[in-house]
Amino acid sequence: MTISPLSAPVSTPQPAEPSAPDLTPIPSQPLSSKPTWKEELGIFASTFITIFLAELGDKTQLTTLFMSAQSDTPWIVFTGAALALVATSLVGVLLGRWLAKHISPRTLEISAGLLLLVMSALLVADVIKS
Amino acid sequence: MDWNLLGLSFVTVFISELGDKSQLAAIALSGRSSSLRAVFLGSTAALILASFLGVLLGDGLSQFFPTRWVKIAAALGFAVMAIRLLFFRENEVDELGDEAIAPE
Repeated sequence: MTISPLSAPVSTPQPAEPSAPDLTPIPSQPLSSKPTWKEELGIFASTFITIFLAELGDKTQLTTLFMSAQSDTPWIVFTGAALALVATSLVGVLLGRWLAKHISPRTLEISAGLLLLVMSALLVADVIKS
Repeated sequence: MDWNLLGLSFVTVFISELGDKSQLAAIALSGRSSSLRAVFLGSTAALILASFLGVLLGDGLSQFFPTRWVKIAAALGFAVMAIRLLFFRENEVDELGDEAIAPE
């Protein structure tokens, strides 16, 4: 899955018509393998909560960055930071998807589980050290 | 618009977040999850909200959210997800192959 920009050859200048929406939202009829809306919400919520907490605990570098910029225009720094965060999570998600294509599901699950365990342990170690 | 500052903060945060635990979590979660979109939106929203709170509260952040407890909560969250992945595998979705999952 690559994310190339729309590579439609623009030969004639006809800007009035926006390119046809390829990405029409999937209708709500349940395909067997597609997650339901509720499942998606669950995935969203668990991802959100965990990463939010992890980031809050890890806010130091951001805080220092913002403090340093606060004198001037903090919202510009915030915009840049927010864009960067979108970019890093996009990279992360795409990397995960790429790995999923090349590694067997079971191996992937085990390594993802181990990775999460390691992060959990690192956080606990942080708490104990501080 | 101060493009220099914008670029500087983008690059700084991008580099410091690259390979950080939230990105690793996004990798780990999206690899097995049936919905890329949900993982992406969840992680993006969380990161933006967290940094927004950082801007808003600055140093006061640690008063509202004691770092220690927040870290413990995050550790618990990761551990739960890890255990779910390792010991309670969700069945069919993985076997179908990724073609079944709509690209976002």
